[in-house]
Amino acid sequence: MESFWGSVQLMFFVYALAAVVSFAVAWIIKLIFAGIRLQGTRAGARAEAKAGAAAELGNAALERNT
Amino acid sequence: MPQIEFLQIFQGLATMVASDPVIAIARIALIALGIAFVYLGAKGTLEPLIMIPMGVGMSSVNAAVLFLSKTAMGTLFVDPMASEPVKLMDVLQIDFLQPIYTFTFSNGLIACLIFLGIGVITDVGYMLISPFRSMFIALAAELGTLLTFPIAVAMGLTYKEAASIAMVGSADGPMVLFTSLMLARDIFVPITIVAYLYLSLTYAGYPYLIRLLIPKHLRGIKMDLKAVPTTTRAEKMTFAVIVNTLLCLLFPVAAPLFMSFFLGIIIRESGVTQFIDFIGGPLLYGSTFFLGLLLGVLCEAGTILNPKVLMLLILGITALLLSGIGGIIGGYVVYWMSGRTYNPVIGIAGVSCIPTTSKVAQKEVRSANKFAVILPWAMGANICGVITSAIIAAIYVTLLR
Repeated sequence: MESFWGSVQLMFFVYALAAVVSFAVAWIIKLIFAGIRLQGTRAGARAEAKAGAAAELGNAALERNT
Repeated sequence: MPQIEFLQIFQGLATMVASDPVIAIARIALIALGIAFVYLGAKGTLEPLIMIPMGVGMSSVNAAVLFLSKTAMGTLFVDPMASEPVKLMDVLQIDFLQPIYTFTFSNGLIACLIFLGIGVITDVGYMLISPFRSMFIALAAELGTLLTFPIAVAMGLTYKEAASIAMVGSADGPMVLFTSLMLARDIFVPITIVAYLYLSLTYAGYPYLIRLLIPKHLRGIKMDLKAVPTTTRAEKMTFAVIVNTLLCLLFPVAAPLFMSFFLGIIIRESGVTQFIDFIGGPLLYGSTFFLGLLLGVLCEAGTILNPKVLMLLILGITALLLSGIGGIIGGYVVYWMSGRTYNPVIGIAGVSCIPTTSKVAQKEVRSANKFAVILPWAMGANICGVITSAIIAAIYVTLLR
């Protein structure tokens, strides 16, 4: 028969390792989520800024013509 | 006209008479059990997708024993131990289910096909609601997988056998099949049968465990559905690709399982409807059907009379019970940590029998409070359960193989 205490030690090792890897996966989820959201917010802000600049240019052109 | 012996015509009966009385009684019992599985599956008490083909296979294989030669008895179904190339070639041409067994079962392919199908029907978006809580619950629900290992060793099993039966606590059929094929090939048949038998029972047994351990007013806690974030396909695909690569890198031995599961998720999110329809329909249900049928066919009296089977039955139910209790403890911990706003019933969904335990949790919550919806959180814990089970299986296989 293989050692009982050895199996208890192995059990704790397996649990600890599984916990570390599982929480690493959870971190990855958080990071991806945050990263993509941040990218989306930046892209939105850039688009807004571009639209604002275009609108300002349009207004300036209108003022010049009138 | 030659002399006719009726028993030689009806060889199923003749072999019953000619065999050892213990084997004959076991055959009769297994025929009855197979018929009972079909009945209970059709009635919905046990999981019909597995139990109906398994029951038919079990009753047929134990009825259809014939004289293969003057001294040997057997069937024309399958030989699970055929491994010598010459013998295997013979068997492939004789036993009608042998090609399916040899080319999909004994190499774990069928487990991967089922995982691919599970991936296609799984929305990982639920995991994104609260990944740390879900992962914590999933780890708590592995209590049976962990504690059963030393218990099994204390009962006299080797480390490899103990790890294989302990995986029943993960309540994930393909995972148990994969681990036992890798670690304990000699007893993978009884282990897998015990696993699928008990997995069917989770649907019937876990509701009682929930009612026993969680009072009704806690079961009826409503979760805030506004907290469920909307997730894009890009987020889910990015998650699947990165986590798959990471887990394959860490545990190459379980890479077929990881790849199959995450490939299913990626296909789902890619929106290729032809693949989704095929993998989530014919492939998944075809694989489940043949898995059930082959498990039934592998339940020959000689295999089931292995002295280790009784021990496996006890250890299997212990593992599932401990995992259920662990999941509920995890649910309680999150309930306390969240300021008593989290429904502890979600804990049972950490047991990765996807989506059965989620459905059980939602059903119990609904019976306590008809306005309470916990399914998104339960599915999140369920998916995390699949991932933690795969990680634990990979660690066991890597360390013990």
